[in-house]
Amino acid sequence: MGSITGNFQNESPLHPAAAEFLNDAFARGWADPSKIHQDSRKTALLLNEAKELISGHLRIRMDQLTFLADPSLGYHLGISGMINSVTKLYYGATDRSEVFAIANSNDAQVLPSDLNGYINYPSARINDLLAWQSINGETGIIARPPLDFSGKVFADCTVDPGLNPLPTNWSSALWDSRSWQGPAGLGVFALADPSSWRNPMPHNDNSISTTSFSVPLAIASAVALDHFLKDFERDQISLQARNAKIRNFLLTEIGDVDIAGSLHQTVPHLLSFSILYTDAQLLVNELDSSGFSVDSGSACSSANMEPSHVLAAMGILTHGNIRMTLRAEQTEATVDKFLQELKYLVERVRA
Amino acid sequence: MELNCLGMRCPLPIIHLAKAIKNSPEIRLFSDDPATLADLSAWARMTGNSYEKINATEFVVRKS
Repeated sequence: MGSITGNFQNESPLHPAAAEFLNDAFARGWADPSKIHQDSRKTALLLNEAKELISGHLRIRMDQLTFLADPSLGYHLGISGMINSVTKLYYGATDRSEVFAIANSNDAQVLPSDLNGYINYPSARINDLLAWQSINGETGIIARPPLDFSGKVFADCTVDPGLNPLPTNWSSALWDSRSWQGPAGLGVFALADPSSWRNPMPHNDNSISTTSFSVPLAIASAVALDHFLKDFERDQISLQARNAKIRNFLLTEIGDVDIAGSLHQTVPHLLSFSILYTDAQLLVNELDSSGFSVDSGSACSSANMEPSHVLAAMGILTHGNIRMTLRAEQTEATVDKFLQELKYLVERVRA
Repeated sequence: MELNCLGMRCPLPIIHLAKAIKNSPEIRLFSDDPATLADLSAWARMTGNSYEKINATEFVVRKS
């Protein structure tokens, strides 16, 4: 396995603790936890511990939690399941495309974003639903709680490993195990009160999801979350200092850079900025050949040639966009080398 | 002054605009790139200039 040093892309490696667990977990057989044999009871016990650990960290009750084999299914369960014939769906212009897709087939209103990435939540009727995004995956902006919204709230926490507290008025919520360096292919879904929810999927009984999830992945995810939050607590101050240093370099050494969100309203490990008069595709390719991989929200670097709807909604420059994911493993020297390379590239491109 | 950037992809329309506005207080910009509207708004904020959208592919940009 190669080193990830120098990689500023969003795809996080599996947490080493989860990787170690999975190494021998898949070699073992896993009994069906719903059966009554001894092995099944052991599996059920382990799964229960995993649920307890995850619900504790995400600050929900254990009985509110359901594992999903496909995290994106949670958008349909959490939004469509809360909609009835009189519901109006409100959603943010910086929400994920999964939310836009559901809004397309419902009575829905998009809420504009301001330059800081904040959404003004309207007052609403009790049957209305707000799709609220806890942390934006492109910009790292931490949303304010929609406490004045008097309807139901679906909390999209798919890039939030429990850092931004769930608003007290939440109704349904969704997490993605990848956000805490857990395995892909595992979502965590929660309902505050199942009586206000109607299953939007074909179903025979009261179970929330009929698709089965992988038990070892669920346990590995709990292991990853536990370790991730400890690591985060240890590393967040140094990550924030590094984030501040990069921002300072961009503004003073490169100039004409539009940074999405301020240091204090964003999570320290995500950073999105756009460099005026530069071509993101060229920057991404040149950086890649120098050993640095970054993401971009610019049109020229996307598959559909459309700029990032998040940047456009905020009014942030969409060309020359670079997204970085910071990790404690990246050394100070790597970051410095990256910044010098970026400065050199921009000078060359702008000349 | 008119600036025809039809068919150009980002960031070219904004780069051409920035060069053109040095020599002219008002530019009529034609661009059909899907990023132009969003980028004009950000560019105007960053550089202190102003713009007006005439239609989907036509913009009037004023130096301030």
